Amino acid sequence: MISNSRKTQSLLKSIFNGRRAVIAIPYLWLLMFFMLPFIFVLKISLAEPIMAIPPYTALFEWGNSLLPSIRASLESYLFLFSDSLYIKAYLSSLKIAIISTILTLIIGYSIAYSVAKAPSRWRGILLMLVILPFWTSFLIRVYAWIGILKTEGLLNLALISIGIIDKPLIIMNTDLAVYIGIVYSYLPFMILPLYANLEKMDMSLLEAAADLGCRPFKTFWTVTIPLSLPGILAGCFLVFIPVMGEFVIPDLLGGSETLMIGKVLWTEFFYNRDWPVASAVAIILLALLVVPIMLYQKSQEKAIS
Amino acid sequence: MSETLSASPWLNASEKPYIQIENVTKKFGDFTAIDSLNLDIYKNEFFSLLGPSGCGKTTLLRMLAGFEKITDGRILLDGEDISEIPPHLRPINMMFQSYALFPHMTVEKNIAFGLKQDNLPPNKISQRVEEMLELVELTDFAKRKPNQLSGGQSQRVALARSLAKQPKLLLLDEPLGALDKRLREQTQFELMDIQEKLEVTFVIVTHDQEEAMTVSSRIGVMDSGNLIQVATPTEIYEAPVNKDVADFIGDVNLLRGIYKGQNEVGTQLHSDDANSIVFATQEVGASTGDEMWFAIRPEKLEISKKKPTNQHNILKGRIEDIAYGGSFSTYHVRLDNGRILKAIRANRVRTEEHHLTWEDEVYLHWEPHSVVVLLS
Repeated sequence: MISNSRKTQSLLKSIFNGRRAVIAIPYLWLLMFFMLPFIFVLKISLAEPIMAIPPYTALFEWGNSLLPSIRASLESYLFLFSDSLYIKAYLSSLKIAIISTILTLIIGYSIAYSVAKAPSRWRGILLMLVILPFWTSFLIRVYAWIGILKTEGLLNLALISIGIIDKPLIIMNTDLAVYIGIVYSYLPFMILPLYANLEKMDMSLLEAAADLGCRPFKTFWTVTIPLSLPGILAGCFLVFIPVMGEFVIPDLLGGSETLMIGKVLWTEFFYNRDWPVASAVAIILLALLVVPIMLYQKSQEKAIS
Repeated sequence: MSETLSASPWLNASEKPYIQIENVTKKFGDFTAIDSLNLDIYKNEFFSLLGPSGCGKTTLLRMLAGFEKITDGRILLDGEDISEIPPHLRPINMMFQSYALFPHMTVEKNIAFGLKQDNLPPNKISQRVEEMLELVELTDFAKRKPNQLSGGQSQRVALARSLAKQPKLLLLDEPLGALDKRLREQTQFELMDIQEKLEVTFVIVTHDQEEAMTVSSRIGVMDSGNLIQVATPTEIYEAPVNKDVADFIGDVNLLRGIYKGQNEVGTQLHSDDANSIVFATQEVGASTGDEMWFAIRPEKLEISKKKPTNQHNILKGRIEDIAYGGSFSTYHVRLDNGRILKAIRANRVRTEEHHLTWEDEVYLHWEPHSVVVLLS
């Protein structure tokens, strides 16, 4: 009896020892908030839409037999490929994500580089300014761009009053407005990993390159850029992955012809109430993003080692 | 080394210096790092800048490389003013203290980097890289990345890279600082061999006085932005210009004395520290009663239990401490007035009876020509 309870005790101990508990927390978190919702979405995507609450058929039907009968259909997936709208939306999202990632990289790199090169007493303040917009709601910041970009907005008023243009520019509700919104919103995600990388770069490497006869511009391309590659990759993935599924920015700033998969998903879900198709859109988006996510993971592992 | 020494171009007034540092001043804000410094360095010299950290030696080296702008004055290389030339156009290469090897390039590519900037044909580059790898004995490591090298190997890659372009002048910033003692000593000789073989002028910055003594043709001792003494290692050691140099280079017994005049033995000083009259061969221009210092190196103090037969320069004391160094021992001898002097004796006899031990009463004696009289 005593030995038995001891055994149980040691078993409990081995399961709940501190080290395991610490490792378990992130796993449990991911299981609860990532894996379970993902399984739900996957399940819905295999169902069929019906007029009911919830608006889709059940995957398992419990009849008289011991095992439930499974009613899975790939119809939603097939539907996505039958209508060119969805493929166009994926490609358009891909295009917008790639272009805005490149724009964010160019702008973000120059900002991160200047901050990393600034005198050390300035760096903290400059970095603070990069992070500062996060103190305001993302939605409010995107709304603010409407006020700036619309026909009688701040930008047009300013440009007309200093006489650069005499007719207001049509930026609002175009792809350009979407790019402006995305680059603005995602810039900090590009700057922070780049800064972290550039800040710890050994300046004597740049001096060594100069000493060996390399012009400053060439040094930038042959030494600085290759050495900051982990930061570039991290920043690009941190921008590219969420922009692929972005909904708020194209919805608020884009026009009717701005096609992005996030918007399509929203329409299917709330407007058409076709939950299985909306889920299928989400599952395919995830499948498309698995590749860059894995590449990102790999680059991070490399950066750590 | 002996060739360079026997040539001694700095003694020949008609010899033209290769590097001329003229009235160079460097200020960082209000702080003066280098104060109106003048220095001539000759072709094929192995010149060391030696001094405590913060003395300005690295700043001077970085000005030669072009990384620091000169506030005032100018630097000439082979007669040409290079003060305004940016670092990438100077025919000068530097070996960095951290080695600064490009971590994303192989050993081979690191060495080729400088040659590529000159747009040399690829076969010329690979030939030169091969030569440099052979010179530093790293041919088998050509394809390695810097993080796969040991400290000593990295050091040699850095050296090969900085020599690949056949610079007119090679600057070395604490080149051996990161190596352990044994490797450092071995590398010192390798550096000297390479310098002789390639006939490149070397300017090295170091805080390690032993290293400077071993490798240099001449040493410039620096302190607070000024050169205090520029001379050969022997001169710096045996004839320091003041007590700071004497104290910084090697071990020394520094004693205070009052000038008493000259007689047939030499200069007479009265010393409270030594509690006696001290005779020195060296003649000094001073008047009776002037205060001065005299320095005696520990190895020039003879230590014995028997009273020496000489008449002058004998002190009595008691052994307080012994530092056994294998080939020699350092004895700390306390005089009657409490002052401790250091004496070094080579351990030439193995038997115990010859040995001196703690609390032994001993006599210290030195020759008048062993004393260096210092006015400041």
